[in-house]
Amino acid sequence: MSAETTPIAQSARRGRLPVWSQHLIVFVAFITVWELAVRNEWVSRLILPSPFDVMFAWWDLAIVKALIWKHFFVTLVEVLAGFALGASFGLAIAILSAMNKTFRRLISPYMVALQVTPRIAVAPIIVAWLGFNMEPKIAIAAIICFFPIFINSLTGLLQADDERLEMFESMRASQWQIFRHLQLPGAMPVIMAGFKTGISLALIGAIVGEFVSASVGIGVLIQRFSFQLLLPEAFACLIMLTVMGLLLYGAATFADRRVVFWRSDDLVTKSARRLRAKHAALLKGRAD
Amino acid sequence: MNQVTTLSSQADALECVTAEGTGKVFPGPVVALEDASFHVKRGEFVSLIGPSGCGKSTLLRLISGLIKPTAGRLEVFGTLVSGPRAEIGMMFQKPTLLDWKSVFDNVLLPITLAQTVTKADRKRAMDLIHLVGLKGFEFSYPRQLSGGMQQRVALARLLNTGAELLLLDEPFGALDEFTRERLNLELLRIQSDLNATILFVTHNIQEAVFLADRVFVMTPRPGRLAATVDVPLPRPRAIEMTKSPEYNDLVFNIRDTLGGFI
Repeated sequence: MSAETTPIAQSARRGRLPVWSQHLIVFVAFITVWELAVRNEWVSRLILPSPFDVMFAWWDLAIVKALIWKHFFVTLVEVLAGFALGASFGLAIAILSAMNKTFRRLISPYMVALQVTPRIAVAPIIVAWLGFNMEPKIAIAAIICFFPIFINSLTGLLQADDERLEMFESMRASQWQIFRHLQLPGAMPVIMAGFKTGISLALIGAIVGEFVSASVGIGVLIQRFSFQLLLPEAFACLIMLTVMGLLLYGAATFADRRVVFWRSDDLVTKSARRLRAKHAALLKGRAD
Repeated sequence: MNQVTTLSSQADALECVTAEGTGKVFPGPVVALEDASFHVKRGEFVSLIGPSGCGKSTLLRLISGLIKPTAGRLEVFGTLVSGPRAEIGMMFQKPTLLDWKSVFDNVLLPITLAQTVTKADRKRAMDLIHLVGLKGFEFSYPRQLSGGMQQRVALARLLNTGAELLLLDEPFGALDEFTRERLNLELLRIQSDLNATILFVTHNIQEAVFLADRVFVMTPRPGRLAATVDVPLPRPRAIEMTKSPEYNDLVFNIRDTLGGFI
């Protein structure tokens, strides 16, 4: 089976370097070319700071002055709260739409309207409504991540195959039971994919909100440093956003794998082993 | 269920399925089944055979109560079929297992849907898993099983519904010849153990004759019941029987009946 031969094993067999070292070489080369480009003034230092400038700026902001963390966590909280809100609404409306045809028909034009309107454009309006604190950023993040979560969840909930539905009907299952035992778990792979898209969009939403108006947040820092032409600092903040994005996406991927455990040979084997052990313990307890 | 037995009179006690001029027209209009009249006795094994579009799946769904007839009468255990019932169970060509549940939980599903699961229910689910030959796989997931094993799980789940009338729609049609033969033999063993009534859809003539007490031969456009053929071969049936002239005569007889329509 091809899944059993890891990329590392494959490259070793062909007498090549392991994959991680290939990545390292590309990364070092990239940084070197960047550094050389700035040092030899192929690009002006004012436009592109050198990687070392960025590193020092980051060190100053994160360790010496330690002022970046407050902004980092404000942005992170905005993203998480916005995602929680957008995901709850997206999932709830998808469930209602899946359960009720009339509701689905009535709501679909508004969903299409929401989809075709550039949602970033509502940012100033939201700020006008909710002021300058975290609330408008949370709301914008929620609005931006709502749609893919809604549409994925609805697609997933409606895709149950006819034979499984007939099987449930022949067992006289109620609509709630069909939802609970068939539609929802069956939709989980697609719903989780929606969550993965949604969490990255929530980050965009929070930053857009901060650009429109804010006093705290990584978006604010980037804007402030850019206006002051402190580009190393601006780049350092940008890297913090990359880190945040990776953390969020990593968490969503981890949750996806766990929730949809039945798609992975590994996790299914583990789960089966756990059930077997539990059953064996139960039998043993009864025998004692 | 009690209600059903009290309603059926003493004379009908042996009667399981009764169809009188039963028909189904789908909007279009497409005549899926026309004027089917027949009786199936309790404990009988009936094969439904015919080419695609002959209405055999439609007939099965009518009996299961999943769809309603547009003409004629259809009774099961002496009462008109008006919807799915506890004493009628159905199995499909695909295993239709829930990938996120273990074999044990899949087999337990009919109970989970009907009531609170008791210790006795768990014991019975375990016994059924062993009955279909899946000892050691109780806590595996569908992903870890072969197609044949998945159908065994589906069969155990069907038996766990407690249904007395089992409707099987090409249950082993997607499996390889060897697995299919073995599962057919086990189905016969289980049927004689439980004394269930079985309606078995297939498009394999040999299989239909091998399993059944009677074969319903169906023909397409419009779907209708063309002939019923008795299979007076002794039980229990073994693979050797397929060499006997009686068996082969029946197979050729049915092929001739179908011949004009394929």
